[in-house]
Amino acid sequence: MIEAIKINNLKYSYQGSQQLFDDFNLTIQVGQWVALVGHNGSGKSTLAKLILGLIVANSGDIDVFGERLSVATVNHVRAQIGMVFQNPDNQFVGATVADDVAFGLENMQKPSSEMPKLIDEALEIVGMQAFKNREPHMLSGGQKQRVALASVLALNPKIIILDEATAMLDPEGRDMVMQTLQKLKARFGSELTLITITHDMDEASLADRVVVINDGKLILDGEPATVFSERDIMHSNGLELPFAGELLAKLDKRPNSYLDERELVQWLSHLKK
Amino acid sequence: MNNIMIGRFIPGDSWVHRLDPRTKMIATFIYILVMLWSNSWQTYAWSAAFLILLIKLTQQPFSLYWSGLKPIFWLILFTVFLQILFTPGEPVLFKAGPIIVTLPGIINAGYVIVRFVLIILMSTILTLTTPPTSIANALESLLGPLKKLRVPVAELALMLSIALRFVPLLMDETQKIMNAQKSRGMSFSNGGPIKRAKAIIPLLIPLFVGALQRALDLANAMEVRGFKDATQRTKYRILHYQQVDRIAFLGLGSFVAIFFVIKFIFHI
Repeated sequence: MIEAIKINNLKYSYQGSQQLFDDFNLTIQVGQWVALVGHNGSGKSTLAKLILGLIVANSGDIDVFGERLSVATVNHVRAQIGMVFQNPDNQFVGATVADDVAFGLENMQKPSSEMPKLIDEALEIVGMQAFKNREPHMLSGGQKQRVALASVLALNPKIIILDEATAMLDPEGRDMVMQTLQKLKARFGSELTLITITHDMDEASLADRVVVINDGKLILDGEPATVFSERDIMHSNGLELPFAGELLAKLDKRPNSYLDERELVQWLSHLKK
Repeated sequence: MNNIMIGRFIPGDSWVHRLDPRTKMIATFIYILVMLWSNSWQTYAWSAAFLILLIKLTQQPFSLYWSGLKPIFWLILFTVFLQILFTPGEPVLFKAGPIIVTLPGIINAGYVIVRFVLIILMSTILTLTTPPTSIANALESLLGPLKKLRVPVAELALMLSIALRFVPLLMDETQKIMNAQKSRGMSFSNGGPIKRAKAIIPLLIPLFVGALQRALDLANAMEVRGFKDATQRTKYRILHYQQVDRIAFLGLGSFVAIFFVIKFIFHI
């Protein structure tokens, strides 16, 4: 079976600074939701830029659906990956919501007659069709990020990468974006590979798989429950556990395995009986 | 800073909104040109009447247009001042050393005010009823022949539309930086001109740094969404020259014709 993304012996350093990635390997299966976590400067955003060919690795290979990333293939690879960035304002190209979703379609040279339908569909998925003719300064941060997601969806990507997409949002905006992501995953299932780069652990706990990196090295890799039971390793890499995890660690009498927030509430309410 | 009107577009479905942006652009250009021929209160009155009709047709409140005039208030005042001071002629109304105020000077100053206001209002109609992307498209279409001279028209049009899109954002940022500095005791309105000019420097530097960061981010976002170059793209908003545009040009034609008739009758 072909992997969505396969990274082999990746080496990369910013000009003049020490090696960030040294023989880095990571494989992401088709249809997986992977949360890439790490503190600031751990290399997680750099990794996303490397996958998209926005910056070029010193050595090593990146394969996207079996296609090796190179100068010749970069445009084709990018066509399969959508990316949502951190700052909602700096990725809004169009003058209105519809124009912004159209920007990518225009680049793909879709005929003008097909655009309105594609734009409506994409906006409907993220629940923003009522805002079609709004200007960006009339939208909240969470709404702008959902438009950014729609812009990406209109291009029918097989992989979507969200690079700290909720970091600049208020809690409400963050919830809106996370709900939209869960809806997307439910709708597209194994056709969509999702990579969320974040340092919000509650966000990471929604993924199928959590990958912790620090200084360009893979520290932990596994299901959220497995990764979050390694409290000491997480802490030594500058990361907190989700609220449930931190609470769990502070209990005198605790369950044998890691529990998420809902499971923990259930477990705690059973204790009382 | 919501009162800044430069490049601001208000969505709507008025008759003016539906016009082809090229029609609006050409009409604005012709109107401004005609204004340069205007030299009597009759012609100004006729031009103002035509403009008020247009504003009514946009179905937007007059207050909106009024706020569009505010930023150029000082420019108008300055020009008026020059007109009053440096127009020679008779009769002289006031004389004090080198300062001579004449009646023609006062009249000219009045004309300048009206001319300025009319030109700004006309351009405001264009930007208020046309999304920046359409303005850019219209420009690209109108300047199309220059492509043969290897002028990168498509790139210029895209640059323009992105620039217009970022105006309100940079205004917001300016306000934020000003507030941040005011809260730390910086004053932008006290002191002489030199002191005030100096106060602008610590405002401009963070603004520039921020703008560059935005530019880099935007470049990444555009590339990721498949942007290669401005020529290899299709268009979401297609320009349609329709019945309304023919009517608009007919209206504009009659305006210009009557304008010159008035100018001829009240020949000055």
